[in-house]
Amino acid sequence: MSQFVSNIEPNIIDDEMVQKAIEENCPEDLGDLARREIINWKVVKELQLSFKSILQIDNLWPLENLTKLQLDNNVIEKIEGLQSLVHLVWLDLSFNNIEVIEGLDTLVKLQDLSLYSNRISKIEHMDTLQELQIFSIGKNNLTILEDVVCLRRLKSLRTLNLSGNPFCREEHYTLFVVAHLPNLVYLDFKLVRDSTRKVAALKYRDLTKPLEQEEARVLALQETQEAKQKELEYHQTAFVEYLNGSFLFDSLYEEDREAAKLAFLPGVEDLLQAYKEEFVSVCGNLFNYGLEEYEKREAEVSKFYKRYHEILAVNQEESKRIISDFESRNQRRLDELYQAGSGDLAECEGAQGKEEIRQLWDALMTLEALVSSDLEELLQDFKRSIDVVASTFTESIQGIFNQCRDLENEHHKKLMKIVIATQEKLDMDPFDDSLPEDVQRLFEDKKTIVNIINMAHSVRLRKIDKRESDMLCNIYQWQISETEKAFQTENDRNRACIGKILCFINTLQKELDNSDPEA
Amino acid sequence: MGEGGHGARSVGMCCALPNQALPALPRSGTWNHLFTTLLSWFWLPQPCSLPGGMEALEEREEVEETAEDAISMNISDSLDDLREVVEEASATSGEPDFDWSSIDTSHLPSSYKTNSQQEKELLQLADHFFQQYTHLCPERKPLFIHPLNECGVQKFVSTTVRPTLLPFPDLYYWSGCASFVCDYLIMEPLKCPITPPSSLYSPTTILKYQRGNCFDFSVLLCSLLIGAGYDAYCVHGYATLEMCSLDQTQELCPLLRKPPEVPEEEDPNKYIIKYPLEPQSKFELQQKAKEEEETEPVQEEEKEEEEKEEEVVTEVGMPKRDPLHGLRVHAWVLVLPGKRKVPETFFINPFTGNHHSTRDECFLGIESIWNHRNYWVNMQDCSKGCKPEKGEIDMSFEMPLSWVTRIRVSCREYENPFSRGKKVILYDKAKLEKWAAYANGDGLVERLTVYADSERTEELEVKEWFKHREDLLYMREVNKQTQLITDHFRPGHPLLLKAHSYTSLEPETGHTVEFYHTARVDGLWKRFENATEMTEYFIGREDFLHMRHIEFGEREKEMENAGITADANPRPIVQIKEYFHRNPEKPADEDIEERVFMVIDDVIQLTYHLELHDTIASKVVFCRVIGREKREDEIFLSRENTVKYEPWSSEKHKNMLHLYDLLWELRAEQKELKHHVRDAEAEMLNILMVREDEEANIKLSVSMYSTAKRGQQQEATELEEEQKSSQSSLKDESQHMGGEAESVAHHTATNSTV
Repeated sequence: MSQFVSNIEPNIIDDEMVQKAIEENCPEDLGDLARREIINWKVVKELQLSFKSILQIDNLWPLENLTKLQLDNNVIEKIEGLQSLVHLVWLDLSFNNIEVIEGLDTLVKLQDLSLYSNRISKIEHMDTLQELQIFSIGKNNLTILEDVVCLRRLKSLRTLNLSGNPFCREEHYTLFVVAHLPNLVYLDFKLVRDSTRKVAALKYRDLTKPLEQEEARVLALQETQEAKQKELEYHQTAFVEYLNGSFLFDSLYEEDREAAKLAFLPGVEDLLQAYKEEFVSVCGNLFNYGLEEYEKREAEVSKFYKRYHEILAVNQEESKRIISDFESRNQRRLDELYQAGSGDLAECEGAQGKEEIRQLWDALMTLEALVSSDLEELLQDFKRSIDVVASTFTESIQGIFNQCRDLENEHHKKLMKIVIATQEKLDMDPFDDSLPEDVQRLFEDKKTIVNIINMAHSVRLRKIDKRESDMLCNIYQWQISETEKAFQTENDRNRACIGKILCFINTLQKELDNSDPEA
Repeated sequence: MGEGGHGARSVGMCCALPNQALPALPRSGTWNHLFTTLLSWFWLPQPCSLPGGMEALEEREEVEETAEDAISMNISDSLDDLREVVEEASATSGEPDFDWSSIDTSHLPSSYKTNSQQEKELLQLADHFFQQYTHLCPERKPLFIHPLNECGVQKFVSTTVRPTLLPFPDLYYWSGCASFVCDYLIMEPLKCPITPPSSLYSPTTILKYQRGNCFDFSVLLCSLLIGAGYDAYCVHGYATLEMCSLDQTQELCPLLRKPPEVPEEEDPNKYIIKYPLEPQSKFELQQKAKEEEETEPVQEEEKEEEEKEEEVVTEVGMPKRDPLHGLRVHAWVLVLPGKRKVPETFFINPFTGNHHSTRDECFLGIESIWNHRNYWVNMQDCSKGCKPEKGEIDMSFEMPLSWVTRIRVSCREYENPFSRGKKVILYDKAKLEKWAAYANGDGLVERLTVYADSERTEELEVKEWFKHREDLLYMREVNKQTQLITDHFRPGHPLLLKAHSYTSLEPETGHTVEFYHTARVDGLWKRFENATEMTEYFIGREDFLHMRHIEFGEREKEMENAGITADANPRPIVQIKEYFHRNPEKPADEDIEERVFMVIDDVIQLTYHLELHDTIASKVVFCRVIGREKREDEIFLSRENTVKYEPWSSEKHKNMLHLYDLLWELRAEQKELKHHVRDAEAEMLNILMVREDEEANIKLSVSMYSTAKRGQQQEATELEEEQKSSQSSLKDESQHMGGEAESVAHHTATNSTV
């Protein structure tokens, strides 16, 4: 390659080159007029830039809908500037001077990738190309056969070309590759036979088995994690994440070091245990209630959208009817006008046509007005029911959190009693050794211990308040966003619809004017 | 068993008389042990009145007496008065009488001619009971309990029932048994319509002579039903004139009964666009009201007249009152639930084989019922409705085995049930004719003619059913008013035909063909074709096409000189329209809903589907325009082709390359579609040809299980083959020629479209 390139000026891709390539790609008999009109790069799907002595890829970012790109037979040294072409399905970079596989991470739709005849020495950075079916990396500088193992992660890979690499000379090269990539159908332009596959599997089972086990383990782990994540997400949408079980309770005592010490006091342990049980059960109620309410909210929303779509469907039918009625008449009129040429008859027809268009306009606008007023009513209803759902939820939540607070207060009172009793006891008998030293140190001063306990109590109360306000905040946000979304959807629809009617009427008007030869 | 013939013996079938028994009878308690015979009793549902037509007489307004008076009158005066009517009725039974006295009884086995010891004891018991019964219920009719058989020997009715399961699959079900009995036997009216017959012949004799009265029918049917495992009973009772004389002219034909229409559930919340009402002038309204007032009285008068006329009509339409109503003796079959998954009690009328509810008003009363084990007398005042129920039966007296020999029906007899070749049933404004399979050369087995009037003069519709036809035709409907014929086929026709509607088999005269589409690759289920258009309907296609409509122009005048046939001069295709369902995988504005190829004008018009929130569809029109200024909303694709798009269309519809590709694609498709249309025309022609051929020589297939027919068929085919072998070479040749001609025609057709 290089000997040809040496006497040709290396290029960087620029707009001119792209434009030219696009035009070249056009069919021959496409009119010149049309050819000139292709200016919108966004719609270009395929582009061929072969044999252009390109050294550096650049300026391709506007072609965002490109699905097929051929950059073969150039002098490209680095894969770059392709990140934004996320719709690429086919990418040809063969016969270049590429040394490293890189910059392909975002091209997740890629199915066919050719890096044939380059200078690549390692297979890497390809894990995101899960759709890849055909991969050609023949005639490169690959030396380590074990690198092939990383292609196992490409689940869709069926065709692979590795021929012409240094490692192909190794003994059992084919068997090694087939054993590690059992899903391959074609390897180096040849069909992989079942018999080969069996022999390979047998030969390398000591190597592949641990790999398989490891993969299975990772997969299982991933699945459980995903399931967990999914459940958590579900709980989050219901605003009750971490409310099943003792998460909330545990978080109350998270930074409370004194509590652990106090647990040594007689009776405190039991007290704490009872408190925990009750608290967790209240949390459980909250959790279940939250899930129930979530289903209710979802039902309410889907009910609204069902009705909304129902109304739209009727609207669509009605307007279709109006338009088709009109169009059948209009077509006849236009034909007549065309035949009538000029004269009184044509004039009369034209006037009538105008009148009909006006009537159509009226009919469509009336329909839209009616429908949109009905939809407005529906939206108001929806807003009301959303408000009701949200406010009942808020009230119930507040009630349940009040229970939590009551529990906390009661616990606090009981604890205080025990502490004061202990304090008094210690005051009476300062040399009681029944308590560990660090616990005893707490009781040096009545004020300190009371302060500590009060502090811990208020911290816990604050935490409960925080969780409550989080939930209330969430439900409020849900209420606002759901309502807003619904109103916005309808608003957009209404605007678009009226815009379209206007446009339609204008077009009809123009058509009529055009067919009137005198105008 | 068997010794000690006195009445109060171990026979434990108790007769528990209900408390609400007839007032004339003593209290039931004293009767229980006296009545230690084979008798029990049962209740009947409401509509069945007491025997003797009491209710019927009561209903008559001129007889304003109590029930007892009615009975006495019934017995004394009215009977005398009615005797004439009865005689008249029995005399006017139109059938040429079969002389039962001349039948040969000599070959019958001895059980027919004598009574065994057991039977004698039974008869004694029965006699005893008969006497007690007549003594205790003198106002009731004598029981039908031990009539004479064909050999003149007295036999107890229960022993005449001979449970038999015949080896035909249909006869395992009650409906099959019932229709076999009513088809196989010719109905004879009772000698005297108000008394049970004096004799009851064995079912074997009845089968042999293929005729009998209602009792013979019932006993045979009951024997088959019990044999098939049903809990069935013969019933002796009273029914309407229509039922007793097998007169169904007042009834709607069961084949015409429409399934009850399930009213489509209108969603009360269905959204309807409520247009505001147009304002109306009050003055105008007043004027209108005035005008209406003026015209109203006239209308009312007219209405009254109409009503009067209607009344007259309805009176005419009503059946005449039968003077013997409630007295006419009939026998039918009762099936109780419990066995063979019968969900509830029902009656079978043996003359028609129809299923009746026990509340059917045609059944007026019950005297007694029996099966092969027992005999029950109705002792119930059925004026208060109760469910039919039976008391427990103590089986310490064993009913002797039936004296009747095994009932046998040969295959041939089973397959040719109609003793006169065909059977005709008259219904209200309809006539049903039935034939045995293979009786008619064209496989006709049933024909239903529907008339416009009760006199059956003006035919409205004829429906014919066929069996065993090789072309799988099973039903043909002919609408006599429009002359439209519809043939229905079973699955498996080589052309996958399901139905074919036509007025004549000539091509291009309006044919609708339905196919078994699941077997077709193109999913076509219906095609309509006439001289100017063709419409095809599809189902379940991957491209979501569901309808294609083709408009044809007029043929060019045929060149007189050259020998061009009609096929070689195809109709010009004017327009092809295709309609598609929404493909949910595509965005609506890329999903074509309607595609119109105006072939002659060279215009292609595409209309796209709508997204739910949209109301105005986007359109793309490709047209051929040469030498004209470009319009605002047009794009020139090349010198000859422009595209018109709607300004609100998506960007995609303004993209040159896309449009260009689309145009080429559409061009190619248009070409293909033209081919398709020619193929479709050829297919229609072929169908007509095949059908004509099939109709011209109808073949019947022989079921490999029908042994009787197979033998016959074999003989026939052997004969035929001999004849055929001489002709076959000739025929082959002609067929070959035909095929060639067709392919040539097709070839030319495709050529001309290119």
